[in-house]
Amino acid sequence: MSGSPFTSTLTLAVGAVLVCAVTVVWLSSVRSVIRVVAFQGVALGLVVLVVGVHLGDPGLIATAAVVLAVKGIAMPFLLERSGGGALTRETRPLVNVPASLVASAVLIVVAFVASRGVAHFVGSTEGGLVPVGVATALLGFFVLVAKRRPIFQMVGLLMIDNGIAMVAFLCTAGVPFLIEMGVSLDVLLGVVVLMVLAQRLRSEFGDLDLDELQELHD
Amino acid sequence: MTSDLLVVTALIGLSSSAVGAMAPLRIRMHLSVALTIAACASGFVMAAEVLHTGRAAVVHTTALLPQSGLSMVLDRFGALFVAVSAVVGIGAMVFRLGYHGQGLSSRTASCILPLFVTTLLLVPAAANVTTFLFLWELMAVTSLLLVLVDHRRRSEVASAGQWYAVMTQFGAAALLVGLVLLATHTGSQSFAAIAARSTHLPAGVRDSAFVLVVVGFGSKAGMVPLHVWLPRAHPEAPGPVSALMSAAMVNLGIYGIVRVGDGLLGGGPAWWWLLVMALGALSALFGSLHSATSSDLKRLLAYSTTDNVGLMLLGVGASGLFASTGHRALALVALVATLLHVVFHAVFKGSLFLSASSLQQATGTRDLDRMGGLLRRVPLTGTIFLVGGLAMAAMPVLCGFVSEWLLLQAMLHGLPSSDPAIAVAMPIGVGALALTGGLTALTIVKAAGIGLLGQPRSTGAAEAHEVGPSMRLGAAILATLCLVFGVAPFLVVPSVVDAARSVTRARIPDPLVGGWQVGLAGVHGALAPGLLALALLIAVTLVAGARRMLQPTPARRTQAWGCGRDLQTATMEYTATSFGEPLTRVFEDVLRPAHDLDVSHAAESRYYVEAARFHTSLDDAFERHAYRPASVGLGRWGALARRVPNGSIHRYLAFGLVALIVVLVVVG
Repeated sequence: MSGSPFTSTLTLAVGAVLVCAVTVVWLSSVRSVIRVVAFQGVALGLVVLVVGVHLGDPGLIATAAVVLAVKGIAMPFLLERSGGGALTRETRPLVNVPASLVASAVLIVVAFVASRGVAHFVGSTEGGLVPVGVATALLGFFVLVAKRRPIFQMVGLLMIDNGIAMVAFLCTAGVPFLIEMGVSLDVLLGVVVLMVLAQRLRSEFGDLDLDELQELHD
Repeated sequence: MTSDLLVVTALIGLSSSAVGAMAPLRIRMHLSVALTIAACASGFVMAAEVLHTGRAAVVHTTALLPQSGLSMVLDRFGALFVAVSAVVGIGAMVFRLGYHGQGLSSRTASCILPLFVTTLLLVPAAANVTTFLFLWELMAVTSLLLVLVDHRRRSEVASAGQWYAVMTQFGAAALLVGLVLLATHTGSQSFAAIAARSTHLPAGVRDSAFVLVVVGFGSKAGMVPLHVWLPRAHPEAPGPVSALMSAAMVNLGIYGIVRVGDGLLGGGPAWWWLLVMALGALSALFGSLHSATSSDLKRLLAYSTTDNVGLMLLGVGASGLFASTGHRALALVALVATLLHVVFHAVFKGSLFLSASSLQQATGTRDLDRMGGLLRRVPLTGTIFLVGGLAMAAMPVLCGFVSEWLLLQAMLHGLPSSDPAIAVAMPIGVGALALTGGLTALTIVKAAGIGLLGQPRSTGAAEAHEVGPSMRLGAAILATLCLVFGVAPFLVVPSVVDAARSVTRARIPDPLVGGWQVGLAGVHGALAPGLLALALLIAVTLVAGARRMLQPTPARRTQAWGCGRDLQTATMEYTATSFGEPLTRVFEDVLRPAHDLDVSHAAESRYYVEAARFHTSLDDAFERHAYRPASVGLGRWGALARRVPNGSIHRYLAFGLVALIVVLVVVG
């Protein structure tokens, strides 16, 4: 990477998103995970801001502000509210922490191998960073699969969305404001649905383990 | 004008279905039946017009089916099948007016039955792949629903429906792949364009398309080894439906094979047709053997449908084989014989199924072992059954004789050929045809002799009463046609020749001698059924007169099957099972009868038998060796697969992740 301020800032922000994703896989404390994902939202906002400033596009800068507000503040706040209380740790994940980290490494390699084509197609600095977005989305998916607490499912969903949004911003030099709003609202809705599911789980089974739902299988 | 009639036929058919669904109960049945008969009549007039003038009925519209549009072209070949369906439809619908029971009067059934008849009239007119598959599926689904109307009361119906559903969907899938293969490789889905371009396709595409299409159409026609649904579904369907299925729907399987093989693909290598002949010979022998040993009347008729479809396939195969080796005239004769058999089979099998349903309604049973003496109790229905049965056994002056004679002639005249394929295939075909003919005669002797003659073997048979007039009329229409076509085949032969020519596009002179005779131009052999009938009449009169003159005292009359005994009771009579027993013994390796003898002895001495029960059942060899293992295997596979989705959300999410990674790696 060359030393221009645009490139180094963008790389830093994108790198922060990925570091946050790996940290979520690693951590088990619910409160820290929410904080990490909030930081990921802020880093994503920074990515959009950098691209916006670089292109001199006021619409994109406005989008950056919205992303920052929704993903850095609003959603973590909602998560905090639903996840706060007695349950503070993921005590028995389906895949233990060392194995999760190995899996994360594998997923990141897969993401880089898989998105070679896209990266080559986009070219320049942004293209080189596209695999990081794909890796973030895959790690989000992995969190969905590997953790038992519904709060982690919300976090994973949020990470998938962050990864996809980052790929979109990097590839197309700015997603129209309206589309970004639509996608963010979708994820918000998903989080709300999961929150309701978590509440119902707690009241039905007295626990927050998603695998309790297996009892519903015929 | 014919194009308008095509639209009119479809509209009347659809409106009769709507009437069946919505009209008040009191008039529902009569109104929808009347409209369905009108649709059949309109279809028949249209088909006759097309056959007569040779101008196709054409309807194109893009408003009905998305993307491809609805495209219908009824040429002479299709018109022949429309005419057959229309005649059977009229007979079955008149019969239906008097037919009660087995759930046909429900709202669903009165809505679906006209729709089924309409699809039978429209399928031969379809002129592109989408239209054809749409109508074909509609026909399959409506017939399936009609088989199932009585499922609440009898569990066999549900099982028959399952077999039928699986087999028809399997066939439809094969058809879909075969036809789509042709459409993609020729770049057009219209039948005319496929026919124009198909000769330039790679051999692999043509071969696989033909085999797939034979499988698809063969499953609908009841071809062995895809026949297993037929002896289940046809007997369980209500009377008029079973007649429509056996006499009209199976024809469309033959229609499809000829349309694609000869029409769209323009003929093919010898092995295609040897395959068809082999399947035909197998179907004919297997079907006739099972119908000769079956004692359930409708099951017997269903197996004989497989047998007759086998004969048709034998003819189609022979025709294709002749064409592929350059014997164009013989090819046309064989195809004409096949199509004549399609027409005649429809007529006699329709009358047989309708009269068998009447017998069932009169006696309350389908089991031949519980019938007997019915010719005296239900004379007209019994006579109709006898006429249809004799036509099926190819007795002279009835229609089956003409078509089977012509088929035999065509195959025999291929014998001097120097071509090795023909020299091997034809003698086998002739042998299969001869053995089938003999077994069919045996079947009819059994069905008519046991069912109609002798003493009643159950109270139901003893108290049988003649069925209603419209049921008798519906069956009588078709039985009369058996006699008319048998005596005067020239009524249909020219149309059939035109139809055969239109599909093969062969430019050769009329191979058949017309007039009162039916014969083959250029080779020896002619048949004059009218003169034959006259000779038969004279001979019968002479013999009867001579006997009366030579033997003045009347002979002593006793019961049939009584061997001249005076104190004959029903339990001493031959039954259908015992009549077929020697045959079962001869073909034990194929039929594998299962006997179950249960003897209980008296308590005082084991030398005295208190009661004995004997139960025998025949298995379908294909069902036992192919279908049952396959279904058990599928069941196991299903049970294994059911363990994978265990209800864990994490597992489902993992499926998603793995799928995503696979897609990324493959695409990326």
